[in-house]
Amino acid sequence: MTQSGFTVDVDQNQYLPEGGRDVSAIVTVTSSADAAGVHSAAAGTPASAEIIIIDCSGSMEYPHTKIAEARAATAAAIDVVRDGVWFSVIAGTNTAWPVFPPDGSMAIADVSSRAAARQAVTGLRASGGTAIGQWLSLARQIFGAYPAQLRHAILLTDGKNQHETPDQLQAALRECEGVFSCDCRGVGTDWEVGELRTISAALLGTVDIVPDPSGLAADFAAMMRSAMGKQVADVALRVWTPQHATLRFVKQVAPTVDDLTARRTPSGPQAGDYPTGAWGPGESRDYHVGVEVNPAGVGLEMLAARISLVAGPPSAAELLGQGLVRAIWTDDEALSTKINPLVAHYTGQAELADAIQEGLEARKQGNEEVATAKLGRAVALARESGNEDTAKLLAKVVDVVDAETGTVRLKKKVEDVDEMALDTRSTKTVRVKKAQS
Amino acid sequence: MTAAGTLTGATCPACGAPVEAGDGFCESCGTELSPPVVSTGAPGYVPECPVCSVDPSSPPGGITADGYCESCGRKVPTGRDHAELDLGPLAGVTDRGLRHQRNEDAMALASAQTPSGPVAIAVVCDGVSSSPRPDDASLAGARAAVQVLLAAARRDEDPAEASLAAVHEAHEALRRLGTPSQAPSATYVSAVIDAAAVTVCWLGDSRAYWLAESGAIRLTTDDSVAEELVAQGSLTEAAALASPQAHVITGWLGADLAWPQPHLRRFEPPGPGVVLVCSDGLWNYRPEAADLADLALPAALTDRLGAAGTLLKFALDAGGMDNITVVLAPFPLARPQTLPRRTAQ
Repeated sequence: MTQSGFTVDVDQNQYLPEGGRDVSAIVTVTSSADAAGVHSAAAGTPASAEIIIIDCSGSMEYPHTKIAEARAATAAAIDVVRDGVWFSVIAGTNTAWPVFPPDGSMAIADVSSRAAARQAVTGLRASGGTAIGQWLSLARQIFGAYPAQLRHAILLTDGKNQHETPDQLQAALRECEGVFSCDCRGVGTDWEVGELRTISAALLGTVDIVPDPSGLAADFAAMMRSAMGKQVADVALRVWTPQHATLRFVKQVAPTVDDLTARRTPSGPQAGDYPTGAWGPGESRDYHVGVEVNPAGVGLEMLAARISLVAGPPSAAELLGQGLVRAIWTDDEALSTKINPLVAHYTGQAELADAIQEGLEARKQGNEEVATAKLGRAVALARESGNEDTAKLLAKVVDVVDAETGTVRLKKKVEDVDEMALDTRSTKTVRVKKAQS
Repeated sequence: MTAAGTLTGATCPACGAPVEAGDGFCESCGTELSPPVVSTGAPGYVPECPVCSVDPSSPPGGITADGYCESCGRKVPTGRDHAELDLGPLAGVTDRGLRHQRNEDAMALASAQTPSGPVAIAVVCDGVSSSPRPDDASLAGARAAVQVLLAAARRDEDPAEASLAAVHEAHEALRRLGTPSQAPSATYVSAVIDAAAVTVCWLGDSRAYWLAESGAIRLTTDDSVAEELVAQGSLTEAAALASPQAHVITGWLGADLAWPQPHLRRFEPPGPGVVLVCSDGLWNYRPEAADLADLALPAALTDRLGAAGTLLKFALDAGGMDNITVVLAPFPLARPQTLPRRTAQ
């Protein structure tokens, strides 16, 4: 482990056949279990700020337990906020307003502010529509007034974003990107998986379904605990590539598949930054980087990508670690045709996520043939890679005839909750034990 | 660098004290007077990208600490790409060739004055491209071996025993670079030329030849599949060299080989001539000793560095498919006229 508390490891087959262009590597980033504290927090200033965003649309009353459990869950999350952390609670309908502190400021957490917040939350009532872009914009405004380094929100909704256009939501999201991160939860089965996934992906957070409102409190407390554990803010992968090379993609592939390719911010000659959000101690994530290079002659070596892990603003970024992706051209076929096991594994996991999402979409459209083929492929991939959680979720949507070949039949009757759980969790991956090199 | 002094009245280049021609070390300050020279490139060599430095449309890029061009990502060659060593009696040249990006050959030369007369030492190693860090392997092997050979020559020890000790030391140096599964590897050939004979020791397919007007012969036999096929009588040399297996070697130095079995040969030249020590980058294009003699003689009898350059140019003109290393030493050895010098471009 380096002094920064981070390591960057690259796993790849560096050998290309004559004329070969495609270089693929898995980059594993790991933070040490006892990472030094948040970088350069000014003395006496809380480094973290938390906002809980609660859906108070009319549907939260049906069943009535939904709004009651949401109130209880918010209180549970408030209880976990560490002393000295800025926090506030927002209610959202077709508009948004501050619940605590009611003046739209942030409170510094202590025994009395947490009690006052819990009290304020008991007054939440459900009525009105759903305009999530408005909720996010209010959170952004509140965060903007406080110089915290770690800004994190929890967003709960039970319905679709009906009272604003998708463009309005996109515009609000664009403004929030890089300002704060957001974990999203959908309660019940009337919300849109794709919509929440878009929000959580843009804001570098997680997304999940909470089928039963009674599960909310435990989930909220866990999310807040995880947020309190984050120590290093605004970490990015800075990827340098040679002249005339194309960076085809940068994807997070563990613990979930998350395509970062479109998130590039230029950060110098031939280099761009890809956000990874905040890191807590003992975390490990894998990234798949694909580069297309101009081939050089047999026997030549090229640096296909230099992967730097950086923290802080692009102008004064701190280097936390570095790894090299190489390309060496060879006429030895035994070397150039060797498949890297990690690259193969994560290529399969990404295909698994795609197959599930495309299969479910086809099923919705009534295209049973495509749905059966895609979900069958997903069953085979899940089996092959040992992704048991996903295999179980798939088995609630299809009858598995033969997992190995991916022979399945669509179930006649599928619970909404099972379909949504499969969709939401389709991007979850499993890791493989690294091959000894 | 010019000669610091003539044989009579020579001085130590470090402290200026007078030294005897046969001294290995300055009696006054302890500086090694005729140290071995190794093809590591000229001091002060500044690497530049071979692609971007000649491309006017390419932005001027630096070279990163780990040796890559900041613009095109190319691994930038080191000063080893072309190096010339001239010790007076013996001289050598090593070159990347035209097809490989770096020079994985290495050579080390030394000379000494001993009670029984002058001694010249040459070691050539060719890094095995399919092993990791072959360039480091060849350099480590050549460097380790030449030190053992030079120390033994100064003590007037038996060149055959010294040659075996040197190849053993070279093998140890390569073992330290790797593990049995990740073993930087290299071929090896050494030649020790003294007043009586030429002692050659080798492993792999780098070669030594005797070239003379009176007749030229190859002094080594390759550890290679091609050579074994020829030895079995199943193929002619030309057919063996044309086979895809020709360059598969069956002997080398490296951590993946526990007990290397080097070959040793003592050759007493019948008259004056030159010893050629080279990597396969040269002999691939002219394996026959007589053909190489035609190329090298008579120039090599008087101008070793010039003749080595001629052989290098021949190999480059013939295709330069591999790294090329050529060392030439005369027999009998002339007494050195200058102190060691080294040039590179």
